[in-house]
Amino acid sequence: MSKKQKILAISSPGGHWIQLNKICNEMESRFDVVYATPGTQYGSQKSHRKIHNITDASADSKLKLIPLAFQLLWIMIKERPSAIISTGAAPGAIAVLIAKVLPIKTIWVDSIANVAKLSRSGEMVKNHANLVVTQWEPLSDGKKIRYQGSVL
Amino acid sequence: MIFVAVGTQFSFDRLIQYMDEWAEANDEAVFAQIGDGDYEPKHMKWERFLDGDQYNGYIKDSTAFVSHAGMGNIISSRQHQTPIIVINRQFELGEHRNNHQADGLLWMGKLPGVYTATTQEDLFAHLSKRESLDCPAESENHKREQLVTFLGDYIDGTLS
Repeated sequence: MSKKQKILAISSPGGHWIQLNKICNEMESRFDVVYATPGTQYGSQKSHRKIHNITDASADSKLKLIPLAFQLLWIMIKERPSAIISTGAAPGAIAVLIAKVLPIKTIWVDSIANVAKLSRSGEMVKNHANLVVTQWEPLSDGKKIRYQGSVL
Repeated sequence: MIFVAVGTQFSFDRLIQYMDEWAEANDEAVFAQIGDGDYEPKHMKWERFLDGDQYNGYIKDSTAFVSHAGMGNIISSRQHQTPIIVINRQFELGEHRNNHQADGLLWMGKLPGVYTATTQEDLFAHLSKRESLDCPAESENHKREQLVTFLGDYIDGTLS
């Protein structure tokens, strides 16, 4: 069998991170998954996993988005993933915009918390990511925004 | 047994007081994880914090799990097939730094096995029916399998 493809999985802490884990833990048998999230508080639970610590930034803290962008670019250069996947919010959106100019597939899974409309960061990347998925069927437009199940 | 938990980030005295009242009036064991709260329960057993194994053990062994509207608890209750009743922290009462738990009830309430409450009355109404609260079977998890398989197929190019 050929070497597993590498995925870089990125999210903010909290609910976004929980959802990212629900998706990516199950992908670890199929892919080589590395993670990037602010804070290393989750690192000890599953020590075999590789988690890059990144700056915690949001759309409300625009100055921090700059170091965050450089960190993400550096991680992508070092890890050379064939795809990135994010459940949100700002760190994932920045990662999608960076990966867009690199030979990396970009996947956006909009948070399950966004039941009435796509998240703010989802709106930001929906025309840039290769694949955009909502976790609520009514939010799918059948074309660009797809529904294919949910973490719950 | 009813398990009550407020998480580690903030206290949630209002919920703990509601449940202490309920425990006094009802013949059912209640165990509460109360965080840094000022209110110390008199009618139920409690701890301030639990480790992960203890926490999951209580969720697994309880008839119903009562908690703040946090995503982690929704996922854990599903894993253990325990119905969950969530009540939102309110920004106006100084219970959180924003009101996103109120928004959380909107999507959480659409999930099987999740019951939402905004008031003490809602909470007690759900608890009075605790034996008949629905909890989703393991097969309900097919939605996640579907999503993970779809994303995996997309990444490795099985799916274009």
